[in-house]
Amino acid sequence: YDSADDLEFDDLREQHNVRLEEGLDGFVVVDGLPLVAPDAKAKLQKFLTGKLSTPAFKIKEDGFFMPFNKAGDKSEGFAFVEYQTPQQAIAACKAVHGTPIDRRHTFGVNKITDIDRYGREGKINEEYEPPKLDEFHEKEHLRWWLGDSNSRDQFVLYRGDGVGVYWNKKRDNPEQIIDRQHWTEKFVQWSPLGTYLATIHIRGMQLWGGQSWSRQTRFPHPYVDLVDFSPNENYLCTWSFRPIEVAEDDPILSQDDDGKNYIIWDLSTGRPLRSFAMYDLATAPEGPDGQPVKKQVPWPAFKWSADDKYVARMKEGEGIHVYELPSMKAMDKKMVSIEGVMDFEWAPATPQRDGVKAYEQLFCFWTPEIGSNPAKVGLMSIPSKEIVRTRNLFNVTDAKLHWQSQAAYVCVKVDRHSKSKKSLATNLEIFRVREKGVPVEVVDSIKDTVINFAWEPKGDRFVLITTAEVVMTTAVPPKTSVSFFCPEKIKGAGVGNFKHIRTVEKKNNNAIFWSPKGRFVVVATVMSQQSYDLDFWDMDYEGDRQEGDNKDLTANLVLMNTADHYGVTDVEWDPTGRYVTTGASVWKHTMENGYQLFDFKGEMLREEHIDKFKQLLWRPRPATQLSKDEQKKIRKNLRDYSKDFEEQDRIEEDKEKGAIVDERRRLLSEWMAYLQREREEVREE
Amino acid sequence: MRPILLQGHERSLTQIKYTKDGDILFSCAKDQIICAWFSANGERLGTYHGHQGALWSIDVDPSTTLLASGAADNTVRLWDVRTGKCIKVWDFNTAVKRVEFNEDGTKLLAVTEKRMGFLGTIVVFDIVPDVDAEQTNERALTITCDESKATVAAWSYLSKYIIAGHEDGSVSQYDAKTGELLDNFQAHEVDMEIKDIQMSPDRTYFITASKDKFAKLLSARDLSPLKQYATETSLNSAALTPKKPFVVLGGGQAAMDVTKTSSRQGKFEARFYHKIFEDEIGRVKGHFGPLNTVAVDPLGRGYASGGEDGYVRVHHFEGAYWGFQ
Amino acid sequence: QEHQETLARRAIIEKKKELASDALQKKQKEEETRKRIIAQQRQEAEANRLAEEHRERERKRMKDEQDRIRRENNENEIKEILKKGINIGDVDVKELDSNQLRLIKISQLEKEKNDLSKNLRVTGKRIDHLERAFRKEEIKLLPQNYEA
Repeated sequence: YDSADDLEFDDLREQHNVRLEEGLDGFVVVDGLPLVAPDAKAKLQKFLTGKLSTPAFKIKEDGFFMPFNKAGDKSEGFAFVEYQTPQQAIAACKAVHGTPIDRRHTFGVNKITDIDRYGREGKINEEYEPPKLDEFHEKEHLRWWLGDSNSRDQFVLYRGDGVGVYWNKKRDNPEQIIDRQHWTEKFVQWSPLGTYLATIHIRGMQLWGGQSWSRQTRFPHPYVDLVDFSPNENYLCTWSFRPIEVAEDDPILSQDDDGKNYIIWDLSTGRPLRSFAMYDLATAPEGPDGQPVKKQVPWPAFKWSADDKYVARMKEGEGIHVYELPSMKAMDKKMVSIEGVMDFEWAPATPQRDGVKAYEQLFCFWTPEIGSNPAKVGLMSIPSKEIVRTRNLFNVTDAKLHWQSQAAYVCVKVDRHSKSKKSLATNLEIFRVREKGVPVEVVDSIKDTVINFAWEPKGDRFVLITTAEVVMTTAVPPKTSVSFFCPEKIKGAGVGNFKHIRTVEKKNNNAIFWSPKGRFVVVATVMSQQSYDLDFWDMDYEGDRQEGDNKDLTANLVLMNTADHYGVTDVEWDPTGRYVTTGASVWKHTMENGYQLFDFKGEMLREEHIDKFKQLLWRPRPATQLSKDEQKKIRKNLRDYSKDFEEQDRIEEDKEKGAIVDERRRLLSEWMAYLQREREEVREE
Repeated sequence: MRPILLQGHERSLTQIKYTKDGDILFSCAKDQIICAWFSANGERLGTYHGHQGALWSIDVDPSTTLLASGAADNTVRLWDVRTGKCIKVWDFNTAVKRVEFNEDGTKLLAVTEKRMGFLGTIVVFDIVPDVDAEQTNERALTITCDESKATVAAWSYLSKYIIAGHEDGSVSQYDAKTGELLDNFQAHEVDMEIKDIQMSPDRTYFITASKDKFAKLLSARDLSPLKQYATETSLNSAALTPKKPFVVLGGGQAAMDVTKTSSRQGKFEARFYHKIFEDEIGRVKGHFGPLNTVAVDPLGRGYASGGEDGYVRVHHFEGAYWGFQ
Repeated sequence: QEHQETLARRAIIEKKKELASDALQKKQKEEETRKRIIAQQRQEAEANRLAEEHRERERKRMKDEQDRIRRENNENEIKEILKKGINIGDVDVKELDSNQLRLIKISQLEKEKNDLSKNLRVTGKRIDHLERAFRKEEIKLLPQNYEA
């Protein structure tokens, strides 16, 4: 682990800080080489010379020297190479460093002057040793945390200036894995599959991982404000409100990046792929103080396709730039023109469509009424740019696009006004993406304005929150209603029409949090000054059906429990859908900061008041490695597993109970002895 | 546990004391009045008028003859418990923050405030436990706190030591005869004021309550820490229950930091911890503001809490309490 | 002289007559007043009686109404209870009063709560065990995953 000071990017800068001296600037040290006997030297040299030369950088004649150990029977695993010019040496470092030599070895290419600098700083002794850079270490197993024998999950806690990662232990205090002061300067974020923990600094962002929590990659985007990973962790996008100022000797960024706000990075190498400026920067209106108003920046601006093959950004009203990854070249060399486009969303999974074999990516977009043309919602397939479906809509004020997690449906929430433009109502236009011809089902039975909507993950049910009142920033929040919908039962394959299950009125709820595994949903009131409700719902209650609920529906809704957490600002499910944490973050207010841990059914397991509590984030998990068949087998034999687990839990519990009883007994006898001693001493006096 | 609500004070409570037999309860508040109540039914016995400033502290001697009080009017007064007559006034340069009788009621200590060039002191008077006797003007002892002012103080077993809690979070042990500083221990976080000290029944150990959200049990003999109780709110008062190994803690965020939302109303809690195992056992809600003072019936039948809200709540322990191990 | 006497007597007679008539008139007047008062009293008594009757009727109506509501409530609750198929033992449902019904209802709610928590506990255990079983098998694949 590097000390806190080392978190700065100074070393990166210094490492690449070219100084002309001693004529050594043409030399590089090549490291990470296989260890060979003298007789294999010539062969390796020839191989390496080929790898280390391109038209852009050529090795000087006799410019290759590979030292051997004292005994002379093995090479040291590194070599000195002299290029024709210092510029070529720099180019070689940038191009070759970090690329693979063969299956087991990776090139480490560094300028000799840099290594010399390290030497001067006394970091190495006279015996020359290759600089120990992270890249040369055997890569740690980045998925180590999935192997916990107790099947526990991790979460990261950011409070005060410290960041800690813990194992969740249900009712018991969480077990600390690591704690570092000043690990981050702004916030922390997990990568979407949980492989990395991102920390955000003035000078950029860093990724940490492995059991030692070592630094994996750095992304020196100065003043970075937000980051967004591609779904498969191959790329990431960083954004800063402040345009980048690139120093002349910047080792990573080039002059092309100067003045830009977004950088798309290759995650594994830490190299920038392309940078972009913000669209609306020039048109930002000036505030009363003459400064440009900090406009709400659309985030994420760059949206990833589900397969990490494309990233796209909308130019409002004109069209969508689709870039191919990793080249970051515009698809077909031009923008996909969509007149009037207001918003777009990629399908969060590669869609499976009836009768379509070619697996393309899909995005949904909408355009408002333009002149006499109606508003439109469309689905476009990429890269073919085929319009899969469009639908005309009238009297549209606004639309929101909600994809179901498996791209089975996209629900377009359409806010419509009456002819007089006075009253608002919401329609749901649900595109059944998987079915032939993408039929659209309309739910127009909703009289009020829908303020929140959420699909069940991996499911086909949804919850929405409506309000009859106009949402305004008044002291008293509007009364809301919570409605549950599901498909009706039909014979044979397929999914029936969406039907209303139940509406709960006179609520204050404003937020919907589905379990990542579906079935359970927490409907909450967050960021409110008055109410802090948490309602825990089960969509598939394994008991009697509630009276009045339709028997022909694919749900059996029950309110499992209600709770409240004073000042709650955030609600987070663990990745397994077994636990829920609620947090009251100091970023929003300073009252009773901390978090509470519930199980899925709303029973509070523990609470912790923490001064300056900021974030609690569960570590995501990648999709299971088990095949469908393996899962099926486990389900079938669950009874046997259950027996083991129950036994395990019982032993654990007994052990704990025993330990507690022993501890208490010890404390008690100690206390009694203390009192006895005291009494005697007092008597003597 | 249904509490009896005592409504007699118009401003926030500062201290509550039970008599030795636990039958009568004295309370003082910033409204300059001392009240006496029957602890059994909450009936008010009487009031003690005379102070010209907010009252900070009261104590009753072991024979329930004399009542001492300290106030912001820079006086300590001695009262005839039965008649309510003020029988002695001692004047000081600054406010008096704490008064306490020793074990047999023959000595009284007073903690004075540090202000306007006067250092904080702990003063001791010899007391004649008789309402008709002439009380001395002479100070038996004056301890000057030149490091950090004392905020609270108490007598140890055999009146051997005076234990003081300081503004800087430390605890001092003084020789009660000579006034010599024997020991000082940083019991709480630095500069986290100690708000209360209460002795165990045998006065061999004591409990402290501090703004650092901890209450701690320390030995009166050598100030060695015995136990500690972690809470999530700044603490104003801590008491030990006889008969049962519990501690009662009172506190709460200061009024400024608390929102005035309805859902928080009545949610200020007295917290019960297990004295030996240090874990929380339960909470009793009810006050509308932070708890400034808690006191326990010396016979262990109940406890009382006084709040920033001006109310005293008297609780009598019930079956579940006695059954709890 | 005689004439004088006659005149005087006449005057006296006149006077007496007058007095008598006055007295009569007064008497009649008194009689009338008395009658009027009696009539008034009677009227009042009658009005009171009517009002009382009205009140009584109203009271009865209210009571009937309340009884009806109570009965209807009871019936509804009984219906509800019967619909849910709760076994309330060997009693005539018509005989139950609202207190008994409330007790049944409370015990019913209690039962529902117990069922809910029992069902959810079973569900929770299954979810937990399934997750752990998956992981137990998945751990075996983890080293492979690293090689890849």
